Amino acid sequence: MKTKKYSIERKQARWGFAFTVPCLVFFAIFSFYPIISAFITSLTNRDAIKRTWDFIGFDNYVYLFTQSNGGFSLMNSLKATGIFTIGTFIPMVVVSLLLAVLIMQLRRPSHSKIFELAFYTPAVLSSVVAATIWMILFQPTGLFNQLTNTIMRTSGRDYQWLTSDAMLRASTIIVYFWKYIGYFTILFITGLASIPPTIYEAAIVDGSSRWHTFWKITLPLLKPTIMLVSIMAMLQCLKTFSTQYMFVQGGTAREPIDVITMNIYYTGVVNRRLGRSSAMSIILFVIMLFFTFLQFKTQKGDEDVEY
Amino acid sequence: MKKALVLLLCLITIISSVFAQGAKEEVDTNQPITLEFWTHEDDARQALEERYIAEFQELHPNVTVNVTRQSAEKLRELVQTAFAAGEGPSFFNLPIENEFQYIEAGRVAPADYETLGFKDAKDLLNAYADGMIDAVYYDGDIYGLPLETTNWSIFLNKKVFRDAGLDPEKDYPKTWEDMVEVSKKIIIRDGDIIQRRGFDFRYSYELTYFVPMVEQLGGALSESEGCVNKDAWVKALTFMQNWGPQGENLGNPTLTAARKLFNKDNNDIAMCNTGLYQEARILSDNPNFYNSGEWMVVPYPVFENAVKDVAGCYYAHFYMVNADASAAEQKMAWELIKYMLLTPGHAEEYLTNVGLIQPTKALLESDTYASMPYSDVFKNDFARAHITYYGKGATAIQSAINSAIKQVMLQGADPAAAYDALQKNVMEILAD
Repeated sequence: MKTKKYSIERKQARWGFAFTVPCLVFFAIFSFYPIISAFITSLTNRDAIKRTWDFIGFDNYVYLFTQSNGGFSLMNSLKATGIFTIGTFIPMVVVSLLLAVLIMQLRRPSHSKIFELAFYTPAVLSSVVAATIWMILFQPTGLFNQLTNTIMRTSGRDYQWLTSDAMLRASTIIVYFWKYIGYFTILFITGLASIPPTIYEAAIVDGSSRWHTFWKITLPLLKPTIMLVSIMAMLQCLKTFSTQYMFVQGGTAREPIDVITMNIYYTGVVNRRLGRSSAMSIILFVIMLFFTFLQFKTQKGDEDVEY
Repeated sequence: MKKALVLLLCLITIISSVFAQGAKEEVDTNQPITLEFWTHEDDARQALEERYIAEFQELHPNVTVNVTRQSAEKLRELVQTAFAAGEGPSFFNLPIENEFQYIEAGRVAPADYETLGFKDAKDLLNAYADGMIDAVYYDGDIYGLPLETTNWSIFLNKKVFRDAGLDPEKDYPKTWEDMVEVSKKIIIRDGDIIQRRGFDFRYSYELTYFVPMVEQLGGALSESEGCVNKDAWVKALTFMQNWGPQGENLGNPTLTAARKLFNKDNNDIAMCNTGLYQEARILSDNPNFYNSGEWMVVPYPVFENAVKDVAGCYYAHFYMVNADASAAEQKMAWELIKYMLLTPGHAEEYLTNVGLIQPTKALLESDTYASMPYSDVFKNDFARAHITYYGKGATAIQSAINSAIKQVMLQGADPAAAYDALQKNVMEILAD
């Protein structure tokens, strides 16, 4: 009788799969099931407190793209989300990379640790608390208005941090930027630390300048981290909610900062239209999937970095 | 023999089914019962109700009452989410504009008249002042008992008035135009930045404060026609625009709520729009201010050219029982509601300790009500008011009106254009 012989790799793969199963089950229950459930709900006219509902096909999607949703249209939410994401995610990736490089330049590890800690601290603060603190800072009598008056050499002028559309958008971007910049800086520091110092030593021997080393060595070798950070930052920006919600609760206008997640919340939880809000969440999911795919596509091959 | 046996079995079956139908279902209220009671935060009411619940549990040792208290905003969402998941509390309260949908959807149970000590729905209706609980009278049944019926008048700080060179007794605003002029005299600014306000609105409660302003000008909010009378709505929106930073800069929705500042007596607000319950809150937050006599309450203003004398709408919170709770749970929930609201002396305690008006005929005609400071102002404003809109899409319509007000006040939108957008949105909500 013949006994099957497996290679070590195959055995390892089988064990690997066995260890992955719990994770897959977890994701299936807590991620895939809600997505499928939301999609099914999006095809219904489900109301949060009514006992019955009907399947209405893609009517919710048609409604969202053609109607105003009681004054808070999906189109406006797409615009608000787009402005916020572009305004936050690009500066956040660039600045966190620069900060990481600067921190790595510090010679004493204790100094770099102090900066890492200082930048990371806001990330552990609750978004609700952060937004509440910043709302006070953005008040006409608050620090930001005083600071702007000082910089602009004016006195007693209200720069409308919370009332003008553009300033309101900028305010939410500042809060988010402040909160998450440290988190992405730490990710970049981790990526920078994984680049072997021998490569830099060789560059020094070859007479490469710091600027040249950054562009020709650091940046290419950091591309996998850049891709990771940019995808994470973009997805996080697309999912932003607490900052905008707290601002609206504090009395600001909703339209300029009515990001999709907030519209989902108001449509589903406040106005009870669960079917419609599920359709919005599926649209958001598709958008996130599309941009993630796009980023993978544009940076294809860059992840094959070998030291 | 076989035939006789079959006949006997048939007879037993028929008899047992007849008895089963005819016998009244007995509800065992002696078994261990847990009541989940969800309500909004109010320190003074909490102290009172904790005592009532403890007393109730002494009378009914088999009953456990778990109380969940949340901010009014949060509670609305919590109750709705729980009902959506089929996990609603045994009983709860919300403002009627958020609560009526639960009646329509059959999610709350009709009142247990027998447990509450009434013959029927009419008997229960008769216990309350005319029209005060009509909102929960639906298809011949009553679906809730009022914890409070509240209208808003204007609270005024006399010291701030005098500081601005005004006589509070004579110069208090009788019209909205007066409100602008008085506020212009009271306001202190550092450049554009407001340091002290005369008055500010309770933004996000537009169905309560703004719709009556529109009605004074001849407009209305209708379930069939939306925002009726464009001219009236545009005038009211123009007034709000003039009030905000695009106009006279007398206040705006992003500033700290006037009602929250009022109790502190810090010379930063002269007037706010609130209910009788504010008296209990002033006493609790700042007893010196309460006892100083430096505050007063004046009627809800009207426009100079008003075509209708309407005061701020009144709203009501009703205790309602979950229709999906077990029969025993429902019965015991009504028992507890009865104990809290209908036990002799309790309505008076709610009024004196918390400032909440339970609109029973007995309470409104009582000496206790008459002796509450400025209760006559609230009583007269009640007579000029009607209940807030609680019909179809009430929450969404309120958001749409709030958005229109912010558009004209903060975003510089033209009031006529804001009205057109509002009417389109409201009609879409009503048609939905």
